[in-house]
Amino acid sequence: MLTKKLSTLHSFLLLASRRAGHLARQQYDVIVVGGGHAGAEAAAAAARMGAETLLVTQKIHTIGVLSCNPSLGGIGKGHLVKEIDALDGLCGRAGDWAGIYFSILNRKKGPAVWGPRAQLDRQRYREFIQAELLGTPRLTVLEGSVEELQVTEPNPEEPGHHRVTGIRLANGSHQISARSVVLTTGTFLSGSLFMGQTTSPGGRIGDAPSSAGLSYTLQERLGLRVGRLRTGTPPRIVKDSVDFSLVEPHLPDKHPTPFSFLNTHVRCKPEEQLLCYLTCTTPGVERVVRESLHLNCHIQQDTKGPRYCPSIESRVLRFPGRAHQVWLEPEGVNSDLLYPQGLSMTMPPDMQLLLIREIPGMQRAEIHTPGYGVQYDFVCPTQLSPALQVKSTQGLFLAGQINGTTGYEEAAAQGLWAGVNAARWALSMPPLALSRTESYIGVLIDDLISRGVTEPYRMFTSRAEFRASLRPDNADLRLTLKGFEEVGCVSSLRYQEAVRVRDSLQEALAALQTLTLSAPNWTKKLPNIRISEVKTTSLTGVDLLQYRDVSFEMLASAFPECLSRFTEFSQRLKIEAVYRFHCELQKKEIERIQKEENMALPQDIDYFSLPVSLSQEVREILDRFRPSTLGAATRLQGITPAAIVNLLQYVYHTGQKERGPRRNKPDHKEDREEELCARNASIPQ
Amino acid sequence: MLPSVHRGILKAAVHTLRTRGAPLNRVMSICDGVPVGLADAETIFALSSGHGRCGVAVVRVSGPASATALRSMAGLTRSLPPPRTALLRSITEPQSKEVLDRGLVLWFPAPHSFTGEDSVEFHIHGGPAVITAVLQALGSMPGMRPAEAGEFTRRAFQAEKLGLTEVEGLGDLIHAETEAQRRQALRQMSGDLGRLYQDWSHKLKRCLAHVEAFIDFSEDELIEDGVLTQVDKSVCDLQADIERHLKDERRGERLRSGVQVVIAGATNAGKSSLLNTICQRPAAIVSPIAGTTRDVVETALDIGGFPVLLTDTAGLRDSPDLVEREGVRRARERVEQADLTLVVVDCAHLPSDAQEAAAFLLAHLKSILPETAFPPTRCLLVLNKTDLLHGDQRQKLDWELRRVCGLPPVCLISCHTNEGLQDFVTVLHNSVKTLCGDPLSGAPTLTQARHRAHLQQCVTALAQYQQYRDTDLALAAEGVRLALTSLGRITGRVGPEEILDIIFKDFCIGK
Repeated sequence: MLTKKLSTLHSFLLLASRRAGHLARQQYDVIVVGGGHAGAEAAAAAARMGAETLLVTQKIHTIGVLSCNPSLGGIGKGHLVKEIDALDGLCGRAGDWAGIYFSILNRKKGPAVWGPRAQLDRQRYREFIQAELLGTPRLTVLEGSVEELQVTEPNPEEPGHHRVTGIRLANGSHQISARSVVLTTGTFLSGSLFMGQTTSPGGRIGDAPSSAGLSYTLQERLGLRVGRLRTGTPPRIVKDSVDFSLVEPHLPDKHPTPFSFLNTHVRCKPEEQLLCYLTCTTPGVERVVRESLHLNCHIQQDTKGPRYCPSIESRVLRFPGRAHQVWLEPEGVNSDLLYPQGLSMTMPPDMQLLLIREIPGMQRAEIHTPGYGVQYDFVCPTQLSPALQVKSTQGLFLAGQINGTTGYEEAAAQGLWAGVNAARWALSMPPLALSRTESYIGVLIDDLISRGVTEPYRMFTSRAEFRASLRPDNADLRLTLKGFEEVGCVSSLRYQEAVRVRDSLQEALAALQTLTLSAPNWTKKLPNIRISEVKTTSLTGVDLLQYRDVSFEMLASAFPECLSRFTEFSQRLKIEAVYRFHCELQKKEIERIQKEENMALPQDIDYFSLPVSLSQEVREILDRFRPSTLGAATRLQGITPAAIVNLLQYVYHTGQKERGPRRNKPDHKEDREEELCARNASIPQ
Repeated sequence: MLPSVHRGILKAAVHTLRTRGAPLNRVMSICDGVPVGLADAETIFALSSGHGRCGVAVVRVSGPASATALRSMAGLTRSLPPPRTALLRSITEPQSKEVLDRGLVLWFPAPHSFTGEDSVEFHIHGGPAVITAVLQALGSMPGMRPAEAGEFTRRAFQAEKLGLTEVEGLGDLIHAETEAQRRQALRQMSGDLGRLYQDWSHKLKRCLAHVEAFIDFSEDELIEDGVLTQVDKSVCDLQADIERHLKDERRGERLRSGVQVVIAGATNAGKSSLLNTICQRPAAIVSPIAGTTRDVVETALDIGGFPVLLTDTAGLRDSPDLVEREGVRRARERVEQADLTLVVVDCAHLPSDAQEAAAFLLAHLKSILPETAFPPTRCLLVLNKTDLLHGDQRQKLDWELRRVCGLPPVCLISCHTNEGLQDFVTVLHNSVKTLCGDPLSGAPTLTQARHRAHLQQCVTALAQYQQYRDTDLALAAEGVRLALTSLGRITGRVGPEEILDIIFKDFCIGK
């Protein structure tokens, strides 16, 4: 993949950049609105699924822009990148192409929580995403601003239910129809920018605000509940103005690990990687923050901001008297700027300069672009189905910050899944859900739609119950096979590679399992390993591999004839051996949850009139969150076991009635399962 | 106390020694002799017959370890008995081989059992000591744990052993069972034991939050390694504390056993008179226990052979007096924990019209019983002071109230003249009998066994933290998570959001 030439990029741009009047068609299967991380993945995924797709964005050259930090991955977020890649998404490969500093975080804390991360060259990242999209078959990119979302009048039989028919562009009321529309408007939905005491409409500095029409359609016509969130970005620092003798350099990994399962190496040579630098705040920073408070509108408002990515203002106000870390990160190979991670701020630009000059190494620093804050609308995500479709509007999908999340990886993950389902809807295929038992993407979507958000949602590994099973190393085994066989968003090339990996791992583990020796014999083979002689039973190769000091390479050199051909997978085999026991333990619980998740609850139930024994409180909770499955219902706070069983009974019961007279054996197992599947497939629309 | 502390530390030290460099899951089973897999501990057991005085008690076991349980407790080393055939055996403690009882055992191999799994029934003598001993013996075996509310039924359901009509009853059954357990838990959690468990849970939550913070944030943030050192200490202390608690039976609170009957009502309705009247009956006299508070009086009684704890409470009314308000709060707490509530009403306050009287009574019940108690199936309405009614008013009222739907059984009595008292005692006796037939109401041995099992799992899981502490923090954290889940089954569930809240409160996370 990395060998792909990007030199033809500019001719691509010229060819593919289209004006509305020159569009080849006026009708598409899927229209994606927005070209950020969610939009790019959504458009690419929909096209991979076989849908004729149109991506509408304000400026083609801002597709794939890293609006905030120049980095990808990290703890929890790295899991998402690996999963997106496993489903054939873009960001993993783009990261391998654009990365200029690779490191695996948490290296000492166990493979389940390793956080693959890279600093990126902003320009290379953008170029890769643009080239990738413009070269994708069935995908057209259009420069334009969407004025209005077109929907049908509400269905008279189901008040409040609509269907998407297309979009209308801003100039010349040009209309384009589509069966599905994916909205990925990021911070642009009623966005406003804050710097000091000035406020202006917009979602990102330098870009025009999006039209009020979209916001109107969502709230007034579709009756969706929206909330408001805030975020911010730090000032960009002129590199030459920083005194690097006063900051602490941090080295990348000696051997960069690619994000993508398809790549064996990254574009950047190991020795060409750039450095990051660490410095920290001083009491002077705190003083400037306090002195500028009265000039800072953003910080004075009580709109919810993220607790884990707070502005420097909220950090020093909440935890005064401490030195807070500031990372100076490179912006690219040829960039003259540094990104000061941890210094997001919204005070007036002159005060920003005063503040950064209080920090060691930056006493003479210059600001290239000041930091600012953004407030924007998000649609309460409890109104979405597990396919990320608005429950009350057929064909309308939402992804990214519009759903209340923060972060490129979170946005990209939703974009991919919304794109997949938008295409499935357009091509008349049933929607699909990813379970929280099989992926972090599933955890993300399930958390959003069943709990909603009160602050920008970010992924943490502690959100995943089955962390031992959902590891970055096995994302391909979890998702690529399913992505090809059930979903349809994975190319056969990638699929074949995943099959090869799976079969090799299975063979290798089987070979290890058959290597059975007594403890003294193992000691003879591996003299450096202390094996407890207490064991009377013999040990297998898998047992040995669980020892802290035993690597697969050691076993392979002791038994080259049966193991050496698997050394390509040494690290994965070691991880599999250590985690196998714990994954087995989790399997039962996973199976139980999956069973409950397969029992869908109809989306149109009137919980208040349901003839089932439920308390008023439970009815209200169910009505508010409208869980899609019995599994989601069990995770709601305040739902009792009895309520679950009563719901279960209702699901069975209604299933019976719908089957009606054709049914004569009420308790036949296969019938019942088939019926549940049928319900499952037909409900979440 | 000191020696046991030392043992705890010593054990932990041995643990770490043996752990180094060896496959970890195996070490666990060798050192402790406790179930290795927490999630795998899926053979369940419970007392399936009622408590109180009964000739035979039935203990049911279901799951893959059933056969092992049967073999080791019924001395059947060679072969299992023929399926579904009663066999008279000595039932022994699996480790010490001490004979606990002599009784019938039945073997139901899968799939021909109630749950569809391998099942065993022990039919033993109905004394509390025997039952407790058998339950504890079962709980001490690897892979066994006490059943959760409705779990036998749930398994039967999952194995497609229940028809649709039975499924309909399942919701009600689980409701009843969880309610009974909730009341049990409330009773216990309000005492010293409850405070101890809550304290552990609180400490464990912080441990987990700090480990999770270290995993999810430490790289780029200022979370010092010292955080983990603190967790190490807390985990070690907790492990020792819980182990000591499990060893020392006397530290556990003596659980109040018997059906909990609470007398409640407005002031001057005649509640205390009712208590005195019931206690003076020859059928029901035992010593009064000293009042736990100045306004809640508890008396242990024996009604028709069933153990009953009768509680008199303060009259319910809004009062400006602080002491009385506390009394009312405690009264409400008791009503919430009760198996059966006797709501006493002064007849003289009733409207004369029967319809209006019914509405009045219903409203009155709503002001006394908690919302979860509706419809009021575990309640008796006692209309006192019938001697103040004149003429045929009493009979008319009695006759008309019986025809009103939605009211619990009504008894008209006079504590002054003892009129109607005989009928009341019969009704009370029947209610208590029904409650005792329910294996869940007020069976402290079961709750105790469940608590022990969860605490044992908690200790085992904490050992996992120590085993993986230096090699794989993700798996170490998994240990703390499992420990909290086990403890959470006693004190209430803890969700990931709660952990994140602690993280954000304790650390300045900025990125």
